[in-house]
Amino acid sequence: MIWVNGLLLALLVLSIVGCTLLGPVRLDLSQALQNIFSANPDAEILFRARLPRVLLGAAIGGGMAACGVVLQALLRNPLACPQMIGVSGGASLGGILGLILFPHWLLPIAGGLLGEISWVPLTAFFGALSSMVLIYRFSLFHGRLHPYHLLLSGVIFNAFIAAVIMFLNSIVDFYQAQGLLFWLMGSLSTRAYLTVGFIWAYIVFGFLWLWTKGLSLNLITLGEEAAMQLGVETSALQRQIFVASSLMIGAMVSVSGMIGFVGLMIPHVMRLIVGSDHRLLLPASFLAGGIFLCWADTLARILLAPAELPVGIVTAFFGGPFFLFLLYRDGAKRLAL
Amino acid sequence: MNQRNQIITVYLFAVSLIVLYCHNILATEALGPQRVVSLAPSVTETLFALGFGDRVVGVTTYCDYPPEARRLPKIGGFTNPSLEAIVATRPDLVIGVNDSSHPVKTKELEHLGIKVAWISVTSLDDILNSFKSVARLLGRPEAGERLVHKITRQFEEVKKRVAPVPRRSTIFAVGLRPLVAVGGKNFIDELITLAGGENIAGNAAQPWLNLPDEYVVAKAPQVIIQAGMGSERGTSVKYWGDLKSIPAVKEGRVYSYPSDKILRPGPRVGEGLEEIARLVHPECFAESTPGLNRRSGCEGSRP
Amino acid sequence: MVGILGPNGSGKTTLLKIFSAVLRGRGEVNLNGRSIEAFGKRELSRLFAVVPQESQILFPYTVAEIVLMGRASYHSPLALEGKRDLEVARASMELTDSLSFSDRYLHELSGGEKQRVIIARALAQEPEILLLDEPSAFLDLKHQVQVFELMRRLNREHSLTIVAALHDLNLAALFFPRLVMLRDGRVYRDGSPKEVLTEKTIEEVYGIRVRVEPDPSGEKPQLFICPSP
Repeated sequence: MIWVNGLLLALLVLSIVGCTLLGPVRLDLSQALQNIFSANPDAEILFRARLPRVLLGAAIGGGMAACGVVLQALLRNPLACPQMIGVSGGASLGGILGLILFPHWLLPIAGGLLGEISWVPLTAFFGALSSMVLIYRFSLFHGRLHPYHLLLSGVIFNAFIAAVIMFLNSIVDFYQAQGLLFWLMGSLSTRAYLTVGFIWAYIVFGFLWLWTKGLSLNLITLGEEAAMQLGVETSALQRQIFVASSLMIGAMVSVSGMIGFVGLMIPHVMRLIVGSDHRLLLPASFLAGGIFLCWADTLARILLAPAELPVGIVTAFFGGPFFLFLLYRDGAKRLAL
Repeated sequence: MNQRNQIITVYLFAVSLIVLYCHNILATEALGPQRVVSLAPSVTETLFALGFGDRVVGVTTYCDYPPEARRLPKIGGFTNPSLEAIVATRPDLVIGVNDSSHPVKTKELEHLGIKVAWISVTSLDDILNSFKSVARLLGRPEAGERLVHKITRQFEEVKKRVAPVPRRSTIFAVGLRPLVAVGGKNFIDELITLAGGENIAGNAAQPWLNLPDEYVVAKAPQVIIQAGMGSERGTSVKYWGDLKSIPAVKEGRVYSYPSDKILRPGPRVGEGLEEIARLVHPECFAESTPGLNRRSGCEGSRP
Repeated sequence: MVGILGPNGSGKTTLLKIFSAVLRGRGEVNLNGRSIEAFGKRELSRLFAVVPQESQILFPYTVAEIVLMGRASYHSPLALEGKRDLEVARASMELTDSLSFSDRYLHELSGGEKQRVIIARALAQEPEILLLDEPSAFLDLKHQVQVFELMRRLNREHSLTIVAALHDLNLAALFFPRLVMLRDGRVYRDGSPKEVLTEKTIEEVYGIRVRVEPDPSGEKPQLFICPSP
């Protein structure tokens, strides 16, 4: 089954290339390639408007899917997903507060470096970290991270954050309210290669680290005691996985808002194809997640051209029925639900 | 007093009461509603501009112009006014804007015997008509006509100024992440046209739409106006700065310009038009720097 | 082979958990002279293997995958299973008669088959000590006997120490040479079946009246329940 990952990698590269070539605007490819470094509209569309966005989509799709796999194992719950552990809610709240409370007085001091655009991801990430610490404390039970408590505190925390966001929505004006939508539905719109590169490095590093824990993840799905008896230091592993996935999710949501459904659906789909061994499932989900989000974002750009849809709507809209179709075809026999 | 005089006194007293009473009623009807609540900042501005400022008894928390409006009792926000607060001001009339508020509120207010009027402000014609409607509702239609004339004159003034020069393709946006731009069926789109510009998203069906950056690059606008509240000068220049193929970037016509005059469909829309025109065609307004006039050829534009 | 007996709540499962270092008791547990706290988890899993009473596995794994997980502490976490691992897994499945369904999913199997797979996984750990928690709890009569015969075979032919919590006193008496009777968390009796399974002991611990008779071979006691008329 290892060849599946090779195939997925090839598909990912093809998807990145393909999605960069697609868009609501017609592109003259030869013009674009000839004038990469000059002020040419085709080149700018290809390399400044589209490519960073597609690359970001691949990274975030992969990161979300990988975190979904890992969280489903950690929480021993097939319905777990990155949205559930509350970190994404904290990131959204941090970002929204950063947007509303932007310190205009800071601009002259920090100059161009701390523009409104780069301040918000920082506050969002800070929000993610704070919520991670909070949820961790809530879920500690006799010194151990109990999956049930983790899930519960995550869900409750998210509900609370949603209420706060809605409250803020009712007191800000129309134009700031548009910005709130970004956090709730996600957007991959970016032109900063620096951000994209940073996120790629961050997510790939996180993914590789999680991949090394693949065997332990298999064992922990058997149950906490069974895993212990098979040689896993379960409390340490739970802590590490929680922190690693929270950091990854926090970074991703800070940059692109909450793009849901990828982390829930892709692990299940890949489980139907490559099985439940996490040493295979993790890389497969990572690659498949990247492919999926690239295409979802392309659709988000093309569907209502020239307007663009928030990508979170596309992932939910197309992901759901596709998943049902797969389930129907392979039957519930392959899913222990 | 003898009996005959008594009867005459009572009779005269009764008649004078009746006359006073009738006069009162007639007077009220002629004067129109005396206690008006506004559900939108543009409505508040319209009421004051028409001279009915003293009749306004309730405004939204966003109604900040004219300054007197800030001291009036608040009845809530733009999309969520408070029914109780409205009723507490004991209004004769509540005026709201079609594009925003809840139709539910109408039923509730009417149940309580409060008259509600909704005005449409989607197009410039709608806005001008709204001045007339409000003036009529309040009992002084001539005030509406005067306001419409004044603003129409302002429009003509600007149109004349920018007539000699060719149109400049323009994009007018209110947000950066995501980029929300003015589309078609939007009064701001009409303002752009009047100001001598051409909205690159003008043939879209939606009044506001999220635009991807690549669309802006492809349409190559000559002017970029960023009007979101909180856009400081410099953020939009920084945002568009690396897309040097866009003419607006090349020629330095990227502006951060938050302005209520442009964004509110109210009586300052004429001034808003001038603001947009100054951004789209600065060469036609630079009276203080004659050098500029000669260079870009906005000839013959005398006020 | 040691059988642990006692009514529900007497602490059988807890005792097994303390042995396997899942729970910490108030006393000490020493293995070969060393306290088990001194062992790392990986090392412990090569010495002890546990077959729990129930396994609730929510994810779709095949039988082969489950059994191979028993080999986790023998190879590096970063490597896939090696040839030796595959051989040991295969042998364990043969021993438990579960090789025939090695490709099927665990949740498709019956209770008895599932139990055999879990035992195979435990055996794949190549332990010195096998801890079983009521291994025959959900099995029919034939499979109950099969499990007990397996335990005896593992003890005799493969030198595994077997420590099992049991609820079937008669089967325990037939197969286990040493029984430990628990009552309210304390050891009540410890000895051979003849010594432990007396009418008096049963009445005091379980609260029911029985008649004890030797089995046909004369060596082992068997209980006959005397319900009230």
